[in-house]
Amino acid sequence: MDVSVFNHKSQRAMKARLGHSLSPWAMTLEVGVVLLIVGGIALLIFGIAAGWAAIGLAAIPAMIVEWYKYELRNIPVIKDGKKVDDILDSEILALLPDQPTPQMIATVLSKVTGGMFFAVRFGLSGGFLEQVVSSNRDDTKAVFEEALKISSQVGGRITAGVLMLALLRQLPSKETFLGHMQLNEDDMIRGISWYHHLTDLIELTSKRSSKPGGVGRDWSFGWIPNLSRFGQNISELNVRKTDLRTETIQQITKAMGSGRGAIALVGQTGVGKTELVYELASELMSTSESVPEAIRYHQIFMLDATRLISIASGRGELEGLIQTLLSEAYTAKNIIICLDNAHVFFEEGVGSIDITNVLLPILEAGRLPIILAVDEQKFLQISKRTPALAAVVNRINVLPTSESDTLKILEEKIPGIEFKRKVTYMYQALRESYKLSARYVYDIAMPGQALSLLDAAADYAESGLVTAKSVNLAIEKTIGVKTNVVDDEGERDTLLNLESLIHERMIGQERAVSVVSDALRRARAGVRNQKRPVGTFMFLGPTGVGKTELAKSLAAVYFGGEKNIIRLDMNEFVSADDVARLIADGTEDAGSLTAQVMKQPFSVVLLDEIEKAHSSVLSTLLQLLDEGILRDARGREVSFRDTIVIATSNAGADRIQEYLHRGYDLEQFEDKFVDELISSNLFHPEFLNRFDEIIVFAPLNKEELLKVVDLILVDVNKNLSEQKITVTVSSDAKAYLVEAGYDPRLGARPMRRVVQRSVENTVAKLMLSREVKPGGTIEISLDQVKEILDKKKQADTIAENK
Amino acid sequence: MFLVGIISWWYGTGWKGQLRRIRDRLVATASYFSIGQLFSTLFSPFRQISAGSVSGSIATQMRAFFDKTLSRVIGAIVRLFTILAGVIALIVQFVFEVLISIIWLTLPAFPVVGLILFVIGWAPRWM
Repeated sequence: MDVSVFNHKSQRAMKARLGHSLSPWAMTLEVGVVLLIVGGIALLIFGIAAGWAAIGLAAIPAMIVEWYKYELRNIPVIKDGKKVDDILDSEILALLPDQPTPQMIATVLSKVTGGMFFAVRFGLSGGFLEQVVSSNRDDTKAVFEEALKISSQVGGRITAGVLMLALLRQLPSKETFLGHMQLNEDDMIRGISWYHHLTDLIELTSKRSSKPGGVGRDWSFGWIPNLSRFGQNISELNVRKTDLRTETIQQITKAMGSGRGAIALVGQTGVGKTELVYELASELMSTSESVPEAIRYHQIFMLDATRLISIASGRGELEGLIQTLLSEAYTAKNIIICLDNAHVFFEEGVGSIDITNVLLPILEAGRLPIILAVDEQKFLQISKRTPALAAVVNRINVLPTSESDTLKILEEKIPGIEFKRKVTYMYQALRESYKLSARYVYDIAMPGQALSLLDAAADYAESGLVTAKSVNLAIEKTIGVKTNVVDDEGERDTLLNLESLIHERMIGQERAVSVVSDALRRARAGVRNQKRPVGTFMFLGPTGVGKTELAKSLAAVYFGGEKNIIRLDMNEFVSADDVARLIADGTEDAGSLTAQVMKQPFSVVLLDEIEKAHSSVLSTLLQLLDEGILRDARGREVSFRDTIVIATSNAGADRIQEYLHRGYDLEQFEDKFVDELISSNLFHPEFLNRFDEIIVFAPLNKEELLKVVDLILVDVNKNLSEQKITVTVSSDAKAYLVEAGYDPRLGARPMRRVVQRSVENTVAKLMLSREVKPGGTIEISLDQVKEILDKKKQADTIAENK
Repeated sequence: MFLVGIISWWYGTGWKGQLRRIRDRLVATASYFSIGQLFSTLFSPFRQISAGSVSGSIATQMRAFFDKTLSRVIGAIVRLFTILAGVIALIVQFVFEVLISIIWLTLPAFPVVGLILFVIGWAPRWM
């Protein structure tokens, strides 16, 4: 018999349909049973024999109700069943017609719980599939064959998700459909497992005992009045144990069962140390065979260090309180103490008191089971200070979770967050929160990283639904980084006209402007390599040609202002020791490169005068340029993947001038010039090769310098706008300003000073002599410019002669 | 199909399920009264009162021994009473479950028996 042919007349299918048709009548039948029995008894009391008939007839609905409750409502799948109708979800089985088409299957999926789960969590509904799948009966066999294949990966059940994926696999454009919803097949498989896990949980929860161990469980153990007052009995919280930390939990129970008292759970913040203790507490209350009898039904009391320190006014009092609590726990014989944030008991500081002298002997004696939950760095510090402590505890490392495990934890946790925040999370939001938090959330490890972002994303829910976009928004609003592909009309225009916008602020250097603009457009269109910075550029050329100005213009035009430029003068990093300053922790040096980028990941990083940096500093930058990652002093990976890195250098400026004097065009000598730089050993080839582009800036010509004067005049007019005065400069005066302001060594840099001095001085005189009034226009002539600049020249000459 | 289906389930899977539920309920009751654990700790000091070892003079040690014995006796009495209550609850429950099982087994015959009694016209007389 063909296992992939759906048998509409199979026992399971018929029962499922019967159960489905009985479901609206179940309550009525139950009421009917009660009425018949009560009525029958009443009739018998009055001596009427018809009461027997009523009681007897009550048996019929009673049997139907029992059958419905224990079999028809949810027909279990046939274990190791091979046929489709053996393992098809009973809800679907009940609704499937005889010889269904793929379209009919999709219609059924839109009506069942599993289908609704996928519609809400994944945005993939049966209604949508109904529109795109085949309506040919002959295609159904392939769907069921595919479903059987998928079911073997997900516990031998064919539920709504399995059928959805099977239907999708029949479509030639399945990748487009899935891509449209930001999904892939692996996501679908994960979704199916998630749904199966939830249905299993519902079944398990109904079987859980409210008081494990019974009323007499603790009678052999001591009273714990103080612990009940100052600690929290986390065993009473009955947190559900997940399957993700089973190995670590077994490690702890084994160590405790064998009498090794003190255990240190060491891991980064957010890694789930406290959660692990909660799960352990639940495990000890269970009848699981992996729990040694010696610690079964032992209760874990969490002592909150901050609370204890705030209750006890001084060291003596705190030591006394801790001793009382620990001796109570020891006497009770069924208590495991957990010191969360244990480092505060082993160090002096704000909010912490060092009581090592009290705790160490207790830990060394090993009679009282104690769990210390402590941050990795803090544990290292404590171990260094008190090596005896590290020697007496069994260290168990709690590592950050992998992507797959993090997603499982998120799936586990979101019902709680959803209840608290009154929102619904889509699966795409979970995945996005893993991806983005791994990149942008620092000082906390997975899964805490992703959970914190997911929680924050609830504030950006649309109509109560938290999508990937909500997670993107949460990141964008909190740290100002643009994570999504551009979809805003304004931003689209800015990107398309980036060159002209930059040229409103700087003149010339078309190639450099265009290369940088292209990099940004690639990034925002989502077609760049996500594992590198947005762009890495080396700008070479003499001073005053616009290298730094281009970086500033880019920051102003696209990165939200010149403040979003992280500028490092590399002449301050001339020794090998300066590497430490480059990657210093933000708490020690807020100006370090890593600290600034952590604070502002979406920015232009300008490394000015890179040739002056020490070779060790340049080597440190290699990973940044290559992978967009730099490790800070604390070993944290700081992402530079949303920055544009621009290094500038004046190296070989004379050589550029020389080439130009000899009549070469920039394009003709650019490559040769870079080769010369490499041969001169100023930069190692591996360093220069890391840049996306090396761009040589040529000195500005006269025409461009005239435009620079115009740009400066725009600024001058901006300054004068409060006085409502407009300044214009005649063409011959501009040409004179160019002559006076251009210096072959300093490029256009003196130009601003010259223009400002001549124009502003002239305006000031005219204003004081009331020759110009608010609302007026001043045209500055060549003579006026000459008068001021020549005076200055004379003054300079006299000063030089002296 | 309906009649065959319900009767075959009733005396097949349904009956097995019913026995399993009865077993689970009895185990839950035994667990609620902590019967197993109370037996295994029958003579342990109650709530660890006077449970620790005491050093000192013979008089002190004798007093500690009597205190501990008293704690054990009190513990044993409390536990025995709880075990007793649990056993009684279990017996009552067991009888009830047996009754339920008999009803389960005979329920399909109820309509026929009821109709026969109705046709005969016999009804209990209370006075």
